Amino acid sequence: MTGSAAHAAQAAQSVLQPATATADSIFEIGVVLTIGAALIFLGVMTLLALSLRRRPPSRRPSRASERLWIVGGGVVFPVLVLSALMVYASVRTSGLTTRADLADGLVIAVTARLWWWEVRYRDPASGKDVVLANEMRIPVGRPLTLALDSADVIHSFWVPELAGKIDMVPGRLHHLHLEARQPGVHRGQCAEYCGEQHARMALHVVALAPEEFDAWLAAQAAPAAAPPDDLAQRGREAFLHERCNACHTIRGVSEESDLGPDLTHVGSRLFIGAGTLPTHRGTLGGWIADTQGIKPGARMPSFDRLDGQTLNALATYLDHLK
Amino acid sequence: MTKHQAPLGKALLRRNRVLAPLAFASAAACLGGCEASPEAPGGGNVRRGERLLAQYHCGSCHAIPGVASARGQVAVTLESFGRRSYIAGRVPNTPQHLAHWIVAPTSLVPQTTMPSMGVSAADAKDMAAYLGNLR
Amino acid sequence: MSAEREMREPPTSLPRPPEELDQLEKAWALPKGLGVLSSVNNTSIGLFYIGTSLLFFLGAGVLALIMRIQLAVPDNTLVGPQAYNQMFTMHGTVMMFLFAIPVVEAIAVYLLPNMLGARDLPFPRLSAYAFWAYAIGGIAFFTTIFFGASPDGGWFMYPPLSSAEHSPGIGADFWLLGIGFIEISAIAGAIELIVGILLTRAPGMTLGRMPIYAWSMLVVAVMIVFAFPAVIAGTALLELERAFDWPFFIAARGGDPILWQHLFWFFGHPEVYIIFLPAAGMVSMMIPALAGVPLVGYRAVVIALVTVATFSFALWAHHMFTAGLGSLSLSLVSAASLAVAVPTGVQVFAWLATLWRGRLRITGASLFLLGFLFIFVLGGLTGVMVAVLPFDWQVHDSYFVVAHLHYVLIGGMVFPMFAALYFWSPLINGHPLSERLARWIFALMFGGFNLAFFPMHISGLLGMPRRVYTYDAHLGWNTLNLLSSVGAFILAAGILLFTIDAIRTWRRRTVPTGNPWNAPTLEWLPNGEYGTRSIPQVDSGDPLWTNPGMPEEVEAGRHWLPGTTSGRRETLVTTPGKAVASHVLLLPGDSWLPVISAAGTAGFFLLLTVKWLVTAWLCGVTAVIAAIIWLWSSDPKPHAAKVAVTDNDRLPVGAVGVRSHSWWAMVVLIVVDASICASFAFAHVHVSMLSEVCPPAGARLPAAGLALLAAGLYLASSLPVEAARRRRTLSGSARECRLLTGAVVIALLVMIAATVALISGHVEAGLSPGANAWSATIAALAGYQVLHVVLMAVMGCYLIARIWTRRLGPRSRATLDNTGLMWHYTALQGAAMIVLVQVLPALMNLVAA
Repeated sequence: MTGSAAHAAQAAQSVLQPATATADSIFEIGVVLTIGAALIFLGVMTLLALSLRRRPPSRRPSRASERLWIVGGGVVFPVLVLSALMVYASVRTSGLTTRADLADGLVIAVTARLWWWEVRYRDPASGKDVVLANEMRIPVGRPLTLALDSADVIHSFWVPELAGKIDMVPGRLHHLHLEARQPGVHRGQCAEYCGEQHARMALHVVALAPEEFDAWLAAQAAPAAAPPDDLAQRGREAFLHERCNACHTIRGVSEESDLGPDLTHVGSRLFIGAGTLPTHRGTLGGWIADTQGIKPGARMPSFDRLDGQTLNALATYLDHLK
Repeated sequence: MTKHQAPLGKALLRRNRVLAPLAFASAAACLGGCEASPEAPGGGNVRRGERLLAQYHCGSCHAIPGVASARGQVAVTLESFGRRSYIAGRVPNTPQHLAHWIVAPTSLVPQTTMPSMGVSAADAKDMAAYLGNLR
Repeated sequence: MSAEREMREPPTSLPRPPEELDQLEKAWALPKGLGVLSSVNNTSIGLFYIGTSLLFFLGAGVLALIMRIQLAVPDNTLVGPQAYNQMFTMHGTVMMFLFAIPVVEAIAVYLLPNMLGARDLPFPRLSAYAFWAYAIGGIAFFTTIFFGASPDGGWFMYPPLSSAEHSPGIGADFWLLGIGFIEISAIAGAIELIVGILLTRAPGMTLGRMPIYAWSMLVVAVMIVFAFPAVIAGTALLELERAFDWPFFIAARGGDPILWQHLFWFFGHPEVYIIFLPAAGMVSMMIPALAGVPLVGYRAVVIALVTVATFSFALWAHHMFTAGLGSLSLSLVSAASLAVAVPTGVQVFAWLATLWRGRLRITGASLFLLGFLFIFVLGGLTGVMVAVLPFDWQVHDSYFVVAHLHYVLIGGMVFPMFAALYFWSPLINGHPLSERLARWIFALMFGGFNLAFFPMHISGLLGMPRRVYTYDAHLGWNTLNLLSSVGAFILAAGILLFTIDAIRTWRRRTVPTGNPWNAPTLEWLPNGEYGTRSIPQVDSGDPLWTNPGMPEEVEAGRHWLPGTTSGRRETLVTTPGKAVASHVLLLPGDSWLPVISAAGTAGFFLLLTVKWLVTAWLCGVTAVIAAIIWLWSSDPKPHAAKVAVTDNDRLPVGAVGVRSHSWWAMVVLIVVDASICASFAFAHVHVSMLSEVCPPAGARLPAAGLALLAAGLYLASSLPVEAARRRRTLSGSARECRLLTGAVVIALLVMIAATVALISGHVEAGLSPGANAWSATIAALAGYQVLHVVLMAVMGCYLIARIWTRRLGPRSRATLDNTGLMWHYTALQGAAMIVLVQVLPALMNLVAA
């Protein structure tokens, strides 16, 4: 996973770097639109500049030619161009909205929460749900469907390098179809204002080779890794003792509550805090001790009451949950 | 329009000249967050308490007026909590008891379904202050 | 406009009687000192209105500057998320609701009557009321930012974020309140504009000779009538949800967050055209004047205005392209959104053709007009881009859209507004703004604007979402944001310079205006408080060009109505199409009553929001009493049957029925009312269609018999009122008073009985509005009907009072006619909503089966 971590640092969120056929189509449409708009703009501005020149009364246009300009430039030209645009866009879009055959397609459920992403897979082996947060890994070359909804307010799922966005509305289930073309890491962000920390609600999508993806999913389906040393063991105890499990689940340790993100494999994720900080022991400690300082308003209190040793142990334990 | 506008124009612009700088000054002054944070009788910061109640997800079980996303139906509503005489029908509703209850509910009423959410003593004080303020 | 046009002799001969001018000046004299605040003259109200709007422009602009400082660098900590979110919400709300719409209305209030040759708007006290309600309410709303009590849900306040659960504080309620004021102002403005433009033009100013600005304001007024009701209904529903837990937008109880979006954007999209079209109208006035030629393609531009307005009502869903609507609707809306570029293009080419035909003088105003063309065309083209569905799926809710909207709004409205301020400034006190400074101001504003907003297209394409208080440093947005922030301050510097020059210029002593640009339209005639000395006879679309002697003629009193026939304020009413003089309209004078009523209205809503119930109701009662007192002096018996308005024309004073200006105002109000009811009905249909089963489990329809009875009684209550309305004689005899009163009382009792049947039907069916959205929408419809019945009771009592004080006469019967109109509407509304509620579930089951 270190290769991905290196990529993560440069993970971009750009419409101009499409990584799927869908995003490619949109990019192409965008280029056509931009060039067309630029040409028309230059044309109109040229006409404007020319109209400001002084010309003698004898060379003023006749009524008929004025009418021609208004009808030609104001009606005929736009109608032609816009009709062509409409046809072109419909043709390019038709492939995007028709559903691929999803009989054996992968389905990933994403529920938007304030201000993080709950991600659910189905474990092919056991048929049980595999729950993680703020990060998705997808297999290259396999069509998949995202089932998107919201647990609270309206959010929007937007990973520009993969597809256009779609809102996540409480009470509705929306679908987005994706197929990655090559391995890579892509960043996305909530794109519908959802309150205080809308600005820090990011997620990452990692595209992996199919075998790597299967291995990853199997690992995610497994319960939490046992603590490898004393420090981590003390961290595990602190997790229970400080009642972190009142909000967080770690499968195999405590499944009491799902108010907060599932931490079973938190160490395997690229970022914590919904894309706020890269994951390692230090940032985990910092996040736990000063959540409110890093992401004010987040629905997790700052655990600034912990002494250094406990904090260290806890961060070590969580970092080992790969 | 023009012959008699001078007095009107002056009246209008006087308003502009007074209000605009006042507006700017006040905006500058107040955007540092000039709200006073009220202290409750038992100590504890009411404003902080409101934020903490959201952070500890109390609203997932309780409906709490004035706290965002706090419309839980699982447990009793905390509306007008400040006027209640008892917590969970058993424990006298004082700021100290309430803070203690928030930290460790089962230590006061063993059969309660309310879990301990890992609230620190300091945080509990603020949360109790907010709840005590609900009239 | 051929040289052969016969120059007609002006209709009134000299010399004028010496006291005529004195009387005119006396009737229109401006109150002294602080009394100027009680002035209802459109000139006073117009200036107050423009000034207040510009104040909000500056205030919301300062908020934007703070936001830009925060965003200048990544991970900035100048402003935290809570404050920032309040700021962008307030910036958007204040700019859209307290600046953009008010300023275009304000300019119309100030400019239109003079441009049309009228002495004032047809309902001066209504304008005053609308202004003061807006000013008091708006300022109170703006001050919430100083207390951290501002709304923070975005200017469009989507639920569930804006619901009581997720926004428990008072901010959202203040937003709903703030919007409420502008809703009142806008509807009042629309009534004034429609009636004023159709009925009070100068004689001979046919529709084909009317200034384009008047056409654009007419179109805009009609748009307001149909667009605002949707947001009025939506905000009412949201407030009911927040206050009483009626779950219109709560999915778990059968409501739908998307319902809000439909209602809001059905208003929101026409709204941006309501903001743009007045500016386009002003541009269509300024370019011909400054280029020295009449507008090319007048008819094409009028058709374009109407087409844009019509299309704009089909486009609302393009703000919802990512909300999960069906693909057929999406495609249709996308096509319509592209199509709206066509009529806009017609206007652009008309302007280009006019510039081509004429020779544009470069002045402050024309610089801003050129800037407008540059910025607006660019914005319009990015608009075409976002109308293409897949492209919008990427850039929606990103900074690309922020760039687009600022290009079209600042380019399309603010730049024309500055051009207008430069162009029409001499009307204020005779002094133009500084031409020398104008070049600097324009350079700073144009350069600053483009530096601020162009990079946002790129940052949006690089993935920067909207409404974020900060951003990560490694996403490639840093330089772009810094440029935008620098540009914003350059733009602000230009605006600051303008403000200084404006204050300096408009404080100077008044001098005669003249016609510094040699413009062709009537607002450049010599003017006093009374408008023009006499109302001009108009023979062309560019009257000051075809009749260069008109200023002297009008000033000498040689045209229509050179004085006042009653000693009071008056103007002429002409027919809507050909502007044939029809009658003299008596206008009310200055009064504190509209101010008091507005303050009471503002106080009522504000205090309700902070839950000071007793004081709130006191304010409300004061507002109603003040309004009734003010109304009492309206609809007077005319002082004469006919009066002389020129040498040879004698016109009636006042009019009744269809020719009455108040009748038309009532009709417009009823259309607004019906649109609000239709919006509530839409909400009901929408949530019904969402349920699997209708009525939803646990809810029942009222008994059909009771419902039928209620509907029938409502319709029946119209009969006595119509019988009363048809009386022509109105002699004031005691018998007649008893008859009329009896009719009103019987009608009222029948209407109350209908309402009792309606409510008891619902009560007996166990209607519980909080249980589910279906019940809540029914309750909302019923509640709206009850509100109307209460209104009818008040109007009925008022009518009875008018009858018994002998104020009702054959030529002063507006109270009777207008009450009749509203009565019939209320009866119809009641019957219609009852039928809808009863029949809808059966209809839906039929369709589903």
